[in-house]
Amino acid sequence: MDRKTSLEGVSRRDFIKTSALSLVALGVTDKAFAAGSDTVRIGLIGCGGQGTRDVVSCVRSTRGVEIAAMGDLFEDRLQQSLEKLREDVPAAVKVTPGRQFVGFDAYKQVLASDVHMVLLTTPPHWRAQHFQAAVEAGKHVFMEKPAGVDPKQIRSVIETAELAGQKGLSVVAGTQRRHSKKYQETIRRIHDGQIGDIVAAYTYWNGGDMLGYWPWYDKEGRSGMEWQCRSWPWFTWTSGDHIVEQHVHNLDVVNWALQAHPEQCVAMGGRAVRDLGNIYDHFAVEFEYSNGVRVSSQCRQINGCTNRIAERVVGTKGVADVDRGVIMGEKPFQYDGPDPDHYVQEMADLVRSVREGAPINEAKQVAESTMNAIMGRMSAYTGRALKWDWAMKASKLDLSPPKYEFGDLPMRPVAIPGRMPLV
Amino acid sequence: MKAKDGTDSGVLTRRDFAKHSAVSLAVLGSAAHRLHAGGSDTLKVGVIGCGGRGTGAVTQVLLSTNTPVKLWAMGDLFEDQLLACHQMLDAGAEGRYDRDAFKSLSARMDVPASRRFVGFDAYQGVIDSGVDLVLLTTPPHFRPEHFMAAVKAGKHVFMEKPAAVDPVGIRTVLAAGEVARQKGLSVVAGTQRRHQNHYIDIMKRVGHGAIGDILAGQCYWNMGLAWDPFKVARTAGMSDMEWQCRNWFYTTWLSGDHICEQHVHNLDIMNWGIGTHPVQVMGMGGRQARTGPAYGNVYDHFACEFEYPNGIRVSSMCKQIPGSAYHVCERLVGTEGQTYTDQAVGYVKDRRGNTVYEYDGPNVNPYYQEHRALIESIRQGRALNEAQSVAESTMCAVMGRMSAYTGRALKWDWAMKASKLDLRPGQYAFGTLPLEAVAIPGKTPLI
Repeated sequence: MDRKTSLEGVSRRDFIKTSALSLVALGVTDKAFAAGSDTVRIGLIGCGGQGTRDVVSCVRSTRGVEIAAMGDLFEDRLQQSLEKLREDVPAAVKVTPGRQFVGFDAYKQVLASDVHMVLLTTPPHWRAQHFQAAVEAGKHVFMEKPAGVDPKQIRSVIETAELAGQKGLSVVAGTQRRHSKKYQETIRRIHDGQIGDIVAAYTYWNGGDMLGYWPWYDKEGRSGMEWQCRSWPWFTWTSGDHIVEQHVHNLDVVNWALQAHPEQCVAMGGRAVRDLGNIYDHFAVEFEYSNGVRVSSQCRQINGCTNRIAERVVGTKGVADVDRGVIMGEKPFQYDGPDPDHYVQEMADLVRSVREGAPINEAKQVAESTMNAIMGRMSAYTGRALKWDWAMKASKLDLSPPKYEFGDLPMRPVAIPGRMPLV
Repeated sequence: MKAKDGTDSGVLTRRDFAKHSAVSLAVLGSAAHRLHAGGSDTLKVGVIGCGGRGTGAVTQVLLSTNTPVKLWAMGDLFEDQLLACHQMLDAGAEGRYDRDAFKSLSARMDVPASRRFVGFDAYQGVIDSGVDLVLLTTPPHFRPEHFMAAVKAGKHVFMEKPAAVDPVGIRTVLAAGEVARQKGLSVVAGTQRRHQNHYIDIMKRVGHGAIGDILAGQCYWNMGLAWDPFKVARTAGMSDMEWQCRNWFYTTWLSGDHICEQHVHNLDIMNWGIGTHPVQVMGMGGRQARTGPAYGNVYDHFACEFEYPNGIRVSSMCKQIPGSAYHVCERLVGTEGQTYTDQAVGYVKDRRGNTVYEYDGPNVNPYYQEHRALIESIRQGRALNEAQSVAESTMCAVMGRMSAYTGRALKWDWAMKASKLDLRPGQYAFGTLPLEAVAIPGKTPLI
């Protein structure tokens, strides 16, 4: 299930059905956790639509999860989220008024409260900062994708990932395809060599313009900072642009299948239709992996166009349409087993790892997939080809605003390739 | 010519060229000089479209053979352009990307005022002037009509790429190609890589299984600005039609957009290597740097995925954006390895990435070689006919543009048989012709 499908709404009945299935499939054994109690108290940092849904998925993934603290930049968003949680998972809501925090520092207060684990679900711009603080505070983490919006943030996430490893903390990322049985079984076969040597891959997120799914607020009556933070998907510094915010899912599957990250990329893009904010509405990127393997990526958010959301891996002995769980070629395969809700499954896997003291750590992999997307964006914005090593080590791109406070913040102009410098 | 980074663009030095020309002329020397048409031993050539490329093509047809060839007639929409071309051929000129420097060609020219034709009907005057061979080098829009008229009149043809700008035009070119076949006429297209030794060599190896079964391909024409925007200033009283025709490069109905006008070269290599045309395409594009009225209504970037039979997917990118990364080449990926080709080099790598073969034979300037092959085929009465291959490669580009402009994926069979897209203006006359708006994906209809 894709994010977009999720946004369109899985019916409550479907959801309960798949949740029940996944609990059976998991054979959940809630072992003793944290000195005798097996209740997992979670804190939510970022109370938007995705954060709220993530809490619901987490609560429903297993027994004994409580939501104990919440933080958001805006009081109204926090209250809307709380109201929704009280409707959907009333028994799990233990958020007293004293554990509702608002503002740019809300995350610190959530981390200072007595929670075991935090869900980092703010707009992407804040992920690196929050992830670092969470791990330093010794919290297990669920972090939504993407992991950042610029190379500087990616370096931070990779450093923090290392620290989480040292502390034995679990980190699961919102690249939920990694928790799909269909994807796992198909990619396991690719790793087993069932399509031979990989020679190419193709990946797409060509869909609609997201109006009505993504929040958009008028600028009128709001400071520049408030306007951009509330309408975050439409600005590059807050969302990373749609290649980073959304297409990262598919790019992550490619890195997973190829067990590598790209070495360089060349891209193009622009906004043919879109007139909100400063992001593009289409990108096409060629990523080059080792041994000359090219991966072609397309992502588009324009209504009325042909849509395709898919990942395809081509090998010398077969072709895998990973999104369909299908392999064609010498060893044909079609996944036809259960494929429990990926959003619930990722939470079930996370909570189990926390309870069992068997940490899983997906921070580096989501940081790398995000880096693919950031590089694609940088290449399209500047018109320049660029290398992974340069971007990782030498790029100075830092999209942070001068300060995090409500006040003037002019919108940066839309990128023009050939004129925007590569930094 | 040995530059591996592609920066050389395959420009031959004059010395290289003289050396390699001598080789191939010697080979030619054994050919029986049998002129198919006219009864005279002199091959009479007419040029239709006297711009930079047309001028270059004339120098090539006149200088690529030691058999008697004469420029016999000229036609252009504009008299000033025709005269400038004639003057340059008469005086000689410096070289440029598509031709060497040349000295006066007056000894091989016989174009009195009575065989100089101007206007939208100029092509018919050239065709009817007693020529054996016509060079079709106008902007792409006019190609189908001119090609059909030429073969109907029994003329051999050199036609520049692309072959057309829309599916209706492609169908005309395919029909005209069939007429040429029935009449035994030679047709050579300006997809000159087909006459470039290292391309011929590498594609032959692909055909013989050097990289096994083909699984994927990539091709690119990413560059900076190709032409100054609207280099001919609009003077008082200049009609819309004249303004657009003089600046045809930036107008879709005339050029087909740059994916069609330029990237067709690389798409042609994909069709050549894979051995067939694609079954469908999904593309995207837009104009992000070349904006404003000076750039007409064309895009500045396209990215398309062409799907061939057996699920083979070819990724194509083309852009014309100043200050952006340069990348003009093609790659075919197979079960046993991959090929790389660009203007200067061609090689084959195995599955481990080792270069197992690199072409190191002579490289003959393909702009001359294509004319040499054409003249040879005419004199030997062994017709060459490249109409179908250039029509199909152009169709790839037209489909890619249609997909990017509309945002819709489309199938080859539908485009070939059912698309009604016809970019012809209401009438060919100097008058009012509003410039069509820039295409908007999701809104521009697929027709």
